Amino acid sequence: MNTAPLKPGEVSLGTTIMAVQFNGGVVVGADSRTTTGSYIANRVTDKLTQVHDHIFCCRSGSAADTQAIADIVHYNLQLLAAQEGEEPTVQKAANLFQQLVYQNKDALSAGIIVGGYDKYNGGSVYSVPLGGSLHKQPFCIGGSGSTYIYGFCDAEYKENMTKEECVDFVKRSVALAMSRDGSSGGVIRLAIIDKNGVERIFVPGNQLPQFFEG
Amino acid sequence: MSSIGTGYDLSSSTYSLDGRIFQVEYAMKAVDNSGLCIGLRAKDGIVLAISKLVHSKLLVPKSNKRIASVDQHIGMVCPGLIADGKALIKRARAEAQNYKDNFRMPISGKMIADRMGQFVQAYTLYSSVRPFGCSTLIATYDSVGPSLYMIDPSGVYWGYFGCAVGKNKQIAKAEIEKLKLNELTSRQAVMEVARIMYSVMEDDIKDRDYEIEYTWICDESDKKHVEVPSDLIEEAERKAKESLDDDDDDDMDDE
Amino acid sequence: MATKTGFNFDNYQRNLFLEHGKENNMKLPKATKTGTTIVGLMFKDGIVLGADTRATEGPIVADKNCEKIHYIAPNMYCCGAGTAADTEMTTALISSNIELHRLNTGREARVVTAMTMLKQLLFKYQGHIGAALILGGVDCTGPHLYTIYPHGSTDKLPYVTMGSGSLAAMAVFESKYKKDLERQEAIDLVAEAIQAGIFNDMGSGSNVDVCVLTKGKVDYLRNYIKPNVRKEKEQVYKFNLGVTPVIKESIRNLVDVVEVNEMEIDQ
Repeated sequence: MNTAPLKPGEVSLGTTIMAVQFNGGVVVGADSRTTTGSYIANRVTDKLTQVHDHIFCCRSGSAADTQAIADIVHYNLQLLAAQEGEEPTVQKAANLFQQLVYQNKDALSAGIIVGGYDKYNGGSVYSVPLGGSLHKQPFCIGGSGSTYIYGFCDAEYKENMTKEECVDFVKRSVALAMSRDGSSGGVIRLAIIDKNGVERIFVPGNQLPQFFEG
Repeated sequence: MSSIGTGYDLSSSTYSLDGRIFQVEYAMKAVDNSGLCIGLRAKDGIVLAISKLVHSKLLVPKSNKRIASVDQHIGMVCPGLIADGKALIKRARAEAQNYKDNFRMPISGKMIADRMGQFVQAYTLYSSVRPFGCSTLIATYDSVGPSLYMIDPSGVYWGYFGCAVGKNKQIAKAEIEKLKLNELTSRQAVMEVARIMYSVMEDDIKDRDYEIEYTWICDESDKKHVEVPSDLIEEAERKAKESLDDDDDDDMDDE
Repeated sequence: MATKTGFNFDNYQRNLFLEHGKENNMKLPKATKTGTTIVGLMFKDGIVLGADTRATEGPIVADKNCEKIHYIAPNMYCCGAGTAADTEMTTALISSNIELHRLNTGREARVVTAMTMLKQLLFKYQGHIGAALILGGVDCTGPHLYTIYPHGSTDKLPYVTMGSGSLAAMAVFESKYKKDLERQEAIDLVAEAIQAGIFNDMGSGSNVDVCVLTKGKVDYLRNYIKPNVRKEKEQVYKFNLGVTPVIKESIRNLVDVVEVNEMEIDQ
């Protein structure tokens, strides 16, 4: 077996997460549903975890596993920043995630997207899926809800979007996934990361973008 | 050294009464016995050079290299005890590889100098080990640009425009200080290094067999640490010898 | 077949056969989950924690008035659900480490610190320590409320419930929770949520314990409500004196008295 399935009673992030580059930074977004079996353990979860000043990760899979990994990476990036005297690059953060997920693939169920800004590469997005591989992409979607919106995202993604276009793209994508995936739902949480820092956006459940409702 | 023979120089884990660690100072003496080693930071790269006595006619010329590559973008030379230098180079390579494994990026000059400084310093703390009998010159070319570091046996390290270690280092340093390193290209720096090497070593090894090893890391070498091209070395050494002869002539004139 | 020394795995093979062999579909006995209702909420000035007091061993109520709100530090308490022994030991261990931490730093410990210690311990044991916790406290950064699951995941929320009665209790919170409740309103809501668990969840029962944590002050209200006090028996089943008629009376002397002459013995 390659990766660990969810253990009985384990809290899972049946999830929709995504990260998208725009000219000058990155927008990361996620739904807010955490489940144990059929029970929603948390309906306003924050699956966007800050691991350094300008680097976020989006967590999917086991809540315990991804929180533990994010805590370890957070620690290592703090240490690295102190040693090198400058902010770590997104690539370094992504590589730490990849190392942890790959080396413990038998024990973990964690699908992680890393997004952030650094002065060398601007905004960048990396994906670290279940087996522990590493993919650099202009945008990336993940979690159980992502399967419903691959086509939408491929059709709607444009290179060099403005910040506003990018935020709108992420909102609509996550809302579509939430409406079709039972394991995703609640509110949309977003973070815009660029050279000026981080801006958080919260979209309540009754203000989601509306689409065909049958 | 007034305190020699009072027992405070037997271990690097013991301070002398005036707060010195003699074993570390002796290690620095070991470095001073080494053949002259020079590092210059020009505006577009770094040049490293070290002179070696060829103690046997049976040795193959140009074998027994003293300057090593730690990574594509890192050159390192350890004037002093050769075997100690090899151990440091081995450690530096491990540090560079380890950093690459963790962060999938080449290690910066500052970081490798820092890691190696810590390693060297750890050998000044315990009675069970001996401080390294060599200094370490590190030449790197990374995102910050070219940089040159020198670590001494105590573990301290400094960034340099130019530095000299080994026999007659004071004379060499005086020569280096006359250079305008911010305006020099790496090619010109090779010429200067050869000139200084020959002028300084002249009296010492006039009639002994010696060899000088040159490497660089610069724009011309594509920011990779490699040996200086042999035609350039030949030109540099020829000019160096010519200028020596000129000096001799000048001396003659003076007389 | 059987080896004389070392471990013997014959029963392992046998059990596999019984469980998976052709025409066998026997099931191994399943461990019964312990039931509990624990809750916590944030109000205007701090945190209120609540718990029922029933401890079960399978279908049997092992203790009708146990304590499920554990002490962590002077400014922190922790409700435990799941395996009673595990919640007891983990909270005791973290309490001890927090005390040492407080002594080392000379400061009051923060709630995140205890939360991090708990999640790292539980994650290390990969869910084998069956402790589901609600951690509440007030520190220099204000009031905090966390849930911690046995596998080591944590949530930070304004109102939380856990244990088998969590659904009943959450139904109460979801319909009645408001921001910035007054102290008494908060205590009442917590008590109501716990009672929802006590009355609608088989694993929960007996009394309501409440703990109110505010800046610099803790009120542990043990048995705040006793909704299940055993009532007086409506009738007396003792027979009144004299209701049993005496039909016959006979007295038998069980001791035979024998007269002995001392003089005869002397002779």
